[in-house]
Amino acid sequence: MKTTLFTTAAIIGLSAGMAQAQLVIEPGSDDRINWTSLEEFAAAHPDLEGQSFNILGPWLGGDQELFASVIAYFNDATGAQANYSGSDSFEQQIVIDTEAGSPPDVAVFPQPGLAADLAEKGFLRPLGEETAQWLRENYAAGESWEALGTYAGQDGTEQLFAFPYKADVKSLVWYVPENFEDAGYEIPQTYEELKALTEQIAEEGETPWCIGLGSGGATGWPATDWVEDLMLRTATPEDYDAWVTNQMPFNDPKVVAAIEEFGWFAKNPDFVAGGTGSVTATDFRESPAGLFGSPPACYMHRQASFIPTFFPDGTVVGEDADFFYMPAPESGDLGQPVLGGGTMFAVLSDNPAAMAFVEFLKTPAAHEVWMAQQGFVTPHTGANPDAYGDETVRRMGQILLDATVFRFDGSDLMPGAVGAGAFWTGMVDFVGGASAQDVADQIQQTWSSLD
Amino acid sequence: MEGMAGQKSSLAWAVNIAAFLLVLIWTIPTLGLFVSSFRDRDQIASSGWWQSFSGSEQTGFVRSGTADDQVQQDGLYVIEGSALEGAQTLRAWGTGARAPAQYQPGDTADLGDGVSLTVAEDGSYRMTSPQPFEMSRGERIFTTTVSPASFTTENYNRVLTAGGLGRAFMNTMTVTIPATVIPILIAAFAAYALAWMQFPGRALLTAAVVGLLVVPLQVALIPLLRLHNDLGIGKGYLGIWLAHTGFGLPLAVYLLRNYMVGLPREIIESARVDGATEFQIFRRIILPLSFPALASFAIFQFLWVWNDLLVATVFLGNTREQLVMTGLLRELMGSRGGEWEILATSAFISIAVPLLVFFAMQKYLVRGLLAGSVKGG
Repeated sequence: MKTTLFTTAAIIGLSAGMAQAQLVIEPGSDDRINWTSLEEFAAAHPDLEGQSFNILGPWLGGDQELFASVIAYFNDATGAQANYSGSDSFEQQIVIDTEAGSPPDVAVFPQPGLAADLAEKGFLRPLGEETAQWLRENYAAGESWEALGTYAGQDGTEQLFAFPYKADVKSLVWYVPENFEDAGYEIPQTYEELKALTEQIAEEGETPWCIGLGSGGATGWPATDWVEDLMLRTATPEDYDAWVTNQMPFNDPKVVAAIEEFGWFAKNPDFVAGGTGSVTATDFRESPAGLFGSPPACYMHRQASFIPTFFPDGTVVGEDADFFYMPAPESGDLGQPVLGGGTMFAVLSDNPAAMAFVEFLKTPAAHEVWMAQQGFVTPHTGANPDAYGDETVRRMGQILLDATVFRFDGSDLMPGAVGAGAFWTGMVDFVGGASAQDVADQIQQTWSSLD
Repeated sequence: MEGMAGQKSSLAWAVNIAAFLLVLIWTIPTLGLFVSSFRDRDQIASSGWWQSFSGSEQTGFVRSGTADDQVQQDGLYVIEGSALEGAQTLRAWGTGARAPAQYQPGDTADLGDGVSLTVAEDGSYRMTSPQPFEMSRGERIFTTTVSPASFTTENYNRVLTAGGLGRAFMNTMTVTIPATVIPILIAAFAAYALAWMQFPGRALLTAAVVGLLVVPLQVALIPLLRLHNDLGIGKGYLGIWLAHTGFGLPLAVYLLRNYMVGLPREIIESARVDGATEFQIFRRIILPLSFPALASFAIFQFLWVWNDLLVATVFLGNTREQLVMTGLLRELMGSRGGEWEILATSAFISIAVPLLVFFAMQKYLVRGLLAGSVKGG
């Protein structure tokens, strides 16, 4: 009978035990990590024993394990139990959960725009002026970071609602050092040199860039990063801020100029591997493979710090492949702009342990433990740069610390219909042949129609 | 139309060929997925699955030994090794990325400063220098090779040994079995009532059920979860069973009612004349006769619940202890996706149980059909 089959199947197991997270680095053993900060934190929060709360975030797989290793120190220090769960559809799930009245205690937002929406509806708890001040004092380009987490609450007052922790650096150009060496190319120090190098490589009959915009339903997003990076190199940070909030219209000449600047790279068939036609057709995950071809399909690839995941197996970053900072213009008027991303922690319940978790994220140790492993960069100036597990990540962290201007990925700050819609498709149209002005007009039209 | 049953249509062969072609077309993607599940990521990225059966020419590079590997022979410093692995054969080689096929096997290249490099036909290389080598990282030797077709079971190994797979399997079972059985039980009663019992508003009720078929379940997620939270059910197995039952019922009732309405009226009426109660008619006559419809709906519902990720993430949550199979396999794909080899492998691993259910149900399906045709007339 089918019922017996079902019941036997149901009886098997329920034995699988829960994997208890271990402390990856024995406290006190590694002097790169500021253990005192952890002890002070524990002493300041003595009454959380036995509290339990949930954290919902977008990290899965490797990132999830790494974050769990950080949480273990919080649990160890306070006796509370923080449970992290990751979801690939975080953006939808957090909305469903908060609207339905069963929000997680802490949420990790990959996009400030979404956090701002929930803050406005009154789902987030303000983190207080003290934390805002702490950010200004302890994060490099602290005001930029503070602005990222500051939203209008339900009553319309601007407050800090989200705490940035774990940054991504996007202003990176990846290359193969040995190919550069063989061809005698120097790493460009200014934006003008970068363009000169591009022309030089093309004149020698080689292809300078690999650009791939394909990403399934999100096709086009890598181009938005390009345009944002170039916007920071052709216009002031104030213009950038005005642009992402639409105080400056999308079809302003400055934005059109930045889009055309991107076109200088992407719409010249001599500058991109496979010609302009393959830019939109190539998946962003497969695009860097051209760097490693023999003969190389291209010499440079602009992409964020996560991209080594998609390098061919066995590639050693720092030796087989490396990156340089996408340089700023020679004039220096625009400073050293860095485009980046970051995840924002927000508290959604009155659980005291949840608020304490934000305090925990202020301790240098909470940063250093992840730094000592992999895939983590932080703008926290109090965290010991020696703690970085490898040289490559340390240099990325240095780019963040050296930044005089830090700006968040603009498309994530724009309303979804623009930043995750019209801007993407507009860039595909632009590379496909439309003029920058037409594309910008079209995107602005979408934005205007939202109100 | 009456004469058709005994006649063999002259177009039978055309129908057969068309059916065969359709089946072929439908199975090609599955075949491709199956082949892909045995290939590694680099293979998937570089060539299509249909090219995987023949040997392919590849260009790439290997690194020579480093200064640590050098030995002194006849006054020269020598580093030796092999530039090939496995059953590859060498076509050409080179020392620079721009001319990766500059030399033929057996040629000697001059690297300057008296350093020379020879790569033989069998892939063994010999780099010699009058001065000691000092590099800590090997020189790149670019090779153009032909490698035979190769497949790997590493993907299956990785998915099957993933942490928490057993737990996730049990979670999926715990969700799926009640979520299949409960709607069948309820729908069978409801379908009988809608098909054979006389009461006012029956037609309207049937129309309402049909109408519910077109409601997309996504619109109900937030209100339903809010209801569960208000009632104190919260997120848990009870919640997800109720949710799946609700989402599955319209189709179940509609399917079973349509089937039951087609059962011969004479049987039911004669049972009524013999004094059987409604429940006896349902239990002893309708239910056994409806086995084919019950089995086909069970297959539908089982597959749907088994493959579901959306309802599970909303109503069950996705902590380690609650994660269902689809959630776990999704996790294996990493935060940014794109790991096709894991996707392909996961598909074949998670298909195993639904196939088992399908074949188990198939038996009832056939038996039910026969029972209907013999007694029905």
